[in-house]
Amino acid sequence: MKTSADPGLSAGPLEAAEVHPCGQTRRARLAAALHAARRAYLHMFGIPDYERYLVHMTCAHPGEPLLSRREFCARAIDRKYSRSGPRCC
Amino acid sequence: MTKITSFAVWIVVAVVGAFAFASLALGRGESVNAAWLVTAALAIYFIAYRFYSRYIAERVLQLDDSRPTPAVRHNDGMDYVPTNKWVLYGHHFAAIAGAGPLVGPVLAAQMGYLPGMLWILVGVVVAGAVQDFIVLFASVRRDGKSLGEMIKIELGPVPGSLALVGVLAIMIIILAVLSLVVVKALTASPWGLFTIAATIPIALIMGVYMRVLRPGRVGEASAIGVVLLLAALVFGQTVANDPVWGPGFTLTGPKLAWALIIYGAIASSLPVWLMLAPRDYLSTFLKIGTVVALAIGIYVVAPPLAMPQTTRFIDGSGPVFAGTLFPFLFITIACGAVSGFHSLISSGTTPKMIERESHMRLIGFGGMLAESFVAIMALSAACVLDPGIYFVMNAPAAVIGTTATNAAQVISGWGFTITPDMITQTAKDIGENTILSRAGGAPTLAVGMAQILAQALGGKTMEALWYHFAILFEALFILTAVDAGTRVGRFMIQDMLGHVYRPLGNTDFLPANFLATGLCVALWGYFLYQGVVDPLGGINTLWQLFGVGNQMLAGIALILCSSVLIKMKRERYVWVTLVPTAWLLVTTLTAGIEKIFHSDPRIGFLALASKFSQAAVQGTVLAPAKSIAEMQRVAFNNYLDAAVCGVFVVLVLAMCVFAIKICLQALRQARPTAIEIPPPAGAQGVPA
Repeated sequence: MKTSADPGLSAGPLEAAEVHPCGQTRRARLAAALHAARRAYLHMFGIPDYERYLVHMTCAHPGEPLLSRREFCARAIDRKYSRSGPRCC
Repeated sequence: MTKITSFAVWIVVAVVGAFAFASLALGRGESVNAAWLVTAALAIYFIAYRFYSRYIAERVLQLDDSRPTPAVRHNDGMDYVPTNKWVLYGHHFAAIAGAGPLVGPVLAAQMGYLPGMLWILVGVVVAGAVQDFIVLFASVRRDGKSLGEMIKIELGPVPGSLALVGVLAIMIIILAVLSLVVVKALTASPWGLFTIAATIPIALIMGVYMRVLRPGRVGEASAIGVVLLLAALVFGQTVANDPVWGPGFTLTGPKLAWALIIYGAIASSLPVWLMLAPRDYLSTFLKIGTVVALAIGIYVVAPPLAMPQTTRFIDGSGPVFAGTLFPFLFITIACGAVSGFHSLISSGTTPKMIERESHMRLIGFGGMLAESFVAIMALSAACVLDPGIYFVMNAPAAVIGTTATNAAQVISGWGFTITPDMITQTAKDIGENTILSRAGGAPTLAVGMAQILAQALGGKTMEALWYHFAILFEALFILTAVDAGTRVGRFMIQDMLGHVYRPLGNTDFLPANFLATGLCVALWGYFLYQGVVDPLGGINTLWQLFGVGNQMLAGIALILCSSVLIKMKRERYVWVTLVPTAWLLVTTLTAGIEKIFHSDPRIGFLALASKFSQAAVQGTVLAPAKSIAEMQRVAFNNYLDAAVCGVFVVLVLAMCVFAIKICLQALRQARPTAIEIPPPAGAQGVPA
């Protein structure tokens, strides 16, 4: 189910960079790298990634109602912490 | 990479590792550089990862990238998210690394750096990383199920419930001991207390910012938080020197314990976005930043190890904790070598984010190696300190007294020469009134870190600031753990109460929530308070109780892993988990039984309890207790500790019996009986 034409299902910054065709301009490459770095930072610290959610919804569930940024972030943080597993010593 | 280059690289790693070990082993009589210790550890990690984890991934587990992971199957953009493996590595590391790998090695340094180092390195490769990896694997193959659920599915409902009771008991002890570490670090330390107290309003500001003012902008909120935190750190010195505020922030141990208990009750009842989430982000940033800074610091400064390879305290007479090297070293250093708690995280959020099965090798095995590296750095930082200073900070007041002169005299008598001036000067350098008997690991590590980081950046004048930064860094994530742990404990208690009286299990029923929170806080608060007023320092008792519990949990997790391998009909590889299981059972059962029944009252709970209760009956007051009532309390607490320890021992033995029964059944079957999510129809196994 995972194809390179479906960016909503590819998560990592590496895949995100692959989506761009070869021969892109320098600026586009830089933008892609910055985008990937931002994403890596968000995921590493477990920060809600609204842009990713938007891509996911439009690709995987087109036409379904979308949560606003406020609703999405609130829900993601509540879900992450209210039943979060134990933290290590 | 071609075969030849790869071969050459591994030869280089092996040679560097061998050279580092040779430097450590042959450097008798002269001090060895801490950089060698760290280098030797790194070489072991790389070699273990390259060869042993590959063996486990390819032969034992036979990871298969054609099987969709839970993240791929349920991808919902929120909980189940296939995540890049390096990003998830960082995420998983941040979740497993806490105060554990910082405290244990510091306490174990009383035996010298060599025993601790060897156990951390052998333990992580043979036991810790294997446990994390295989539990993660089992959870991914079972749709991201938790450890308790997996035990229920694979071993049966009774062992499942037993495991849950064990996990709750360990949670309570862990919360108590972590809180005790904070109390020991902040007692009579106005600078430290002000900084930590300031994190509460800072977290609240961040919480409101990222929920109400700029929803979802966690990065901006964290930047504000970090700036405010550093301001509080610098301003703390002014507060501490203020004639009014200084004494106001100078609290005694019992008062701090009460403050923490009240904090735990309130913080865990607030909505998660208001305090827990922002504080967690803040502490994660700080944690990763500090760990990286310390690694760079050790290489830049390259300090010599002042602690000898081994000290005479391997005979069990040590002031920091009592008991001989075997078995007590192996329960004192838990996290960093093997930590049962990780089995809960490896079966928590991480399996829901794994993109491909083959990534588990890096995340499960590699993640634990990184935590082990933190433990090695903590050990180095403690051993860089002058041993005299180390013992001043870690020996209880009952042994070294309460004045610098007295402490210097006692410790010099042990062969670690130190003068009263050195003690007062060290306290002055770090901006504290006293460093006597600051047990618990955190302050010792903070002094070690401050000396290393100050040499790298800022010099002597910055030492006090670095010290309080290190304390802040440790206390911050301990407080996060207290908050999050109390919540988890509450859910577990509600779950259990729900079986007794249904409405109590309803998490939307407010009185039931308060009752469960109150119970959870009361349980860990009780152990904390007893630890604080314990004249022998409390850490000596509580840390070992935690160590026994944590290692027992690791034993249970490894028993599950072994059963899963046997049920998969991979019994020819089961030694991979059976060897660490056997070692953990031998060390922890010996330690558990010695803690209960040993005839030396310094080690055995029952021996100490009966000594005090008998004396109380005869009406004699034994030091360090001051009244008959205090004597009776010491006796009662030791009976209680013996009972908790007994519960751990019985639990793990029961788990063994259940697992052996299941495994014998599975061995008789011709086909695999493990209950996994089946691979998709028509999929050919693709070796990862």
